Amino acid sequence: MVAQLLRLKLQLLANAFRRRPLQLVGMLLSLLYGMGFALVIVVGLVLLRGVDPMIARSIVVSCGSGAVLGFFLLPLAFGVDDTVDARKFAVLGIATTKLSAGLLVAALLSVPSLVITTVALTQIVTWSRGVLPTVLAILSGGLIVATCVIGARVSTAIAAFLLSSRRARDTTGIISVILVVALAPAFIYLASVDWSFNGLNVLARIANAASWTPLGAVWAAPADAAVGSVGTAWLKLLIAIAFVGLLWLGWRALTAKMLVTPQRQAVVKTITGLGWFGRFRGTPTGAIAARSLIYWSRDARYRVSLIIVPIVPILPVVALAIAGVHTTLLALVPVPIMLLFLAWSTLHNDVAYDDTAVWLHLASGTTGRQDRWGRAIPVLLVGLPLAIVGSLVSTQIWGNWQWFPSIFGLNVCILFTGIGLSSLISVRFPYPVVKPGDSPFAQPQASGTASSLIQSLSFFALLLLAVPVIGLAALGALGDPLWHVAALGAGLAIGLAGLFGGVGWGGRVFDRRAPELLEFTARN
Amino acid sequence: MDNEPQPRSPQKPAARQNARPSATARKPTGQRKSAAPRKATSVSAKSATKIESELILSIVGLTKRFGDTVAVNAIDLDVRAGWFFGIVGPNGAGKTTTLSMITGLLRPTFGTVSVHGADVWSNPEVAKRNMGVLPDRLRLFDRLTGSQLLYYSGVLRGLTPDVVRERTADLAAAFGLDDALGRLVTDYSAGMTKKVALAASMIHSPRLLVLDEPFESVDPVSAANVTEILKKYAASGGTVVLSSHSMDLVQRICDHVAVIVNGEILANGTMDEVRAGESLEDRFVELAGGRRAAEGMEWLHSFSG
Repeated sequence: MVAQLLRLKLQLLANAFRRRPLQLVGMLLSLLYGMGFALVIVVGLVLLRGVDPMIARSIVVSCGSGAVLGFFLLPLAFGVDDTVDARKFAVLGIATTKLSAGLLVAALLSVPSLVITTVALTQIVTWSRGVLPTVLAILSGGLIVATCVIGARVSTAIAAFLLSSRRARDTTGIISVILVVALAPAFIYLASVDWSFNGLNVLARIANAASWTPLGAVWAAPADAAVGSVGTAWLKLLIAIAFVGLLWLGWRALTAKMLVTPQRQAVVKTITGLGWFGRFRGTPTGAIAARSLIYWSRDARYRVSLIIVPIVPILPVVALAIAGVHTTLLALVPVPIMLLFLAWSTLHNDVAYDDTAVWLHLASGTTGRQDRWGRAIPVLLVGLPLAIVGSLVSTQIWGNWQWFPSIFGLNVCILFTGIGLSSLISVRFPYPVVKPGDSPFAQPQASGTASSLIQSLSFFALLLLAVPVIGLAALGALGDPLWHVAALGAGLAIGLAGLFGGVGWGGRVFDRRAPELLEFTARN
Repeated sequence: MDNEPQPRSPQKPAARQNARPSATARKPTGQRKSAAPRKATSVSAKSATKIESELILSIVGLTKRFGDTVAVNAIDLDVRAGWFFGIVGPNGAGKTTTLSMITGLLRPTFGTVSVHGADVWSNPEVAKRNMGVLPDRLRLFDRLTGSQLLYYSGVLRGLTPDVVRERTADLAAAFGLDDALGRLVTDYSAGMTKKVALAASMIHSPRLLVLDEPFESVDPVSAANVTEILKKYAASGGTVVLSSHSMDLVQRICDHVAVIVNGEILANGTMDEVRAGESLEDRFVELAGGRRAAEGMEWLHSFSG
């Protein structure tokens, strides 16, 4: 059984390599990234062998607890596309214990599992400072891997099991966003610690607290032995063993339950009328615009993108505030970032978001012009008011109304060029996304580095396009305020050129390669 | 307009001759035996005097290669107004590939497709306006409600909102979708989804309907309703091209049929010609390589504990 499941998992991994070269490069890079990450930790752990045991303990236990927490939370918050979901084996009639054990062994064959295994082996080196610490480290090593792998499986199962209805899945995204927002203060606190001065004390406090929890006990057992408190070391090993036992029982029970539970059914509700379709003109462009707006509210993937829009500026603003940038200057930061994300996240891969449903645009002979403008209009409808109001509010906080033309010009420039470029990118360089109805944070089958390369390149291009406007605004700030008017002119000119150029070009690309786009969505 | 068609389908040179009007599509089972293969000749003498109906779909040398695999190999096909044309073939024979190329969803490697005289790939506007499409296994914009999806399909086809609303009501009644119009398509059952997609494919009253597996997962009552709608449509001059696995169904409702195996047309003509006195299913199995005797499966009959 175990051997068969292992072979299945290996086969699944091998098949992932039978893809197009670009995706293959992406996968290899992510593998390399994971291995590089592991290597850094390995080197760190080996170096820690020569460090004072108290300090090594603080670092290993606090970071280790974080890693275990990650294994528990990430599958829950972001949902994992589970290739070996227990439910897929329901019809095979395999004994539950056998199946749950086999699935765990199969789960060892993944990049995160391999990384944590490497780390668990290397921490033996860190604690090879005597017989007892070494023995405890070896025992802990096994327990670390078991805790992380079983924990991740339990979380994945819960995510897949409790959140399996469509509507529940749709809300997962929102929950994770809230989670991220809730954790933000903690990160900000950690970021604000003066690490060179106070860092070790903070780590020691975290390690002391975590070492008594199941998250940290497994890391703390050899560490405590190394610093000399043998009693607590054994106690913590017991905690770790008990936790693994509990996790195993939980995982086994979940597997048993999943094997006999069908998918949950969602309650269906009825909607009358045509919604946004009634408010737009009855032309193809109008219908596509209305459809986009409807999808913004009904498709969890768009909803998450839109919820992120007001949240995105928080991080840079907080970072700048910690760096000591004055509050009034900070007022200028959020609006352009929000506009950029609004245009970008809704548009830049919308054909891939449609999935194969885009056939309707092909079959009905929708022109690229209609398709591109239809999708761009909702962004303009939301973005322009945001740009106007946002510019007014930022200028009010900034306090110098002479700057208003520059601020507004920059905002409009970013919105327009963002829409233009996204309209082109989405037909020229679409990349795989999660299917409609899947968790918005699930990983698509084949996401590659190509997509992130394209994303960063086009972000860079957008910044480049905004440089003249920022330059003119700076001239206005330093010298003659008339430069602010020039900045407005430049912003409008660049923005409109980017908007019409990008949407027009995108439309021509759509006309030319619509069948290839459909083929792309069908393939991924 | 109706010039003499060039010879096609080498297997059955007699096949093309009788382009009967569609009204006689259904042949009761009792008449099957009397419809002997040679009878076609006598019919053709009669139909030669009749004016052939307009050429709606013309396919010449249509080929699709995926890498080294030839999915569809130089297919030629003519479909005339009022025909109810069935395409049958085993799994993976190239039916969906062919229909996708006809409807402009898949770019052919070679060959031309024209609909009502307009080339699908060089003059897509006209060709696509005349075509209603039901693809197989492609998603719908399923976060729309049934009525929104019909509205979207209609308006994308250039209809005015008022016309779309009117037709939506008619289509909903005809397809039994009244109660479902306000629900999201993603919450529909497979059969309902098929029906709403079928309704959307004909909302702009096209001359040609290209339907890929229109009856798959549709219940028998709905299938009968849909058949009725399609027959009326064909009787009034509309043309239907559909693919199906169900030989019985194709034999019952289609008046012309083509058998595709391994990307090539093995038989093409009126239903009677292709059947050649047998049932379509028997004839199809014969053409597609014959029945495989189910030997060497004895273990299946001794049940395991």
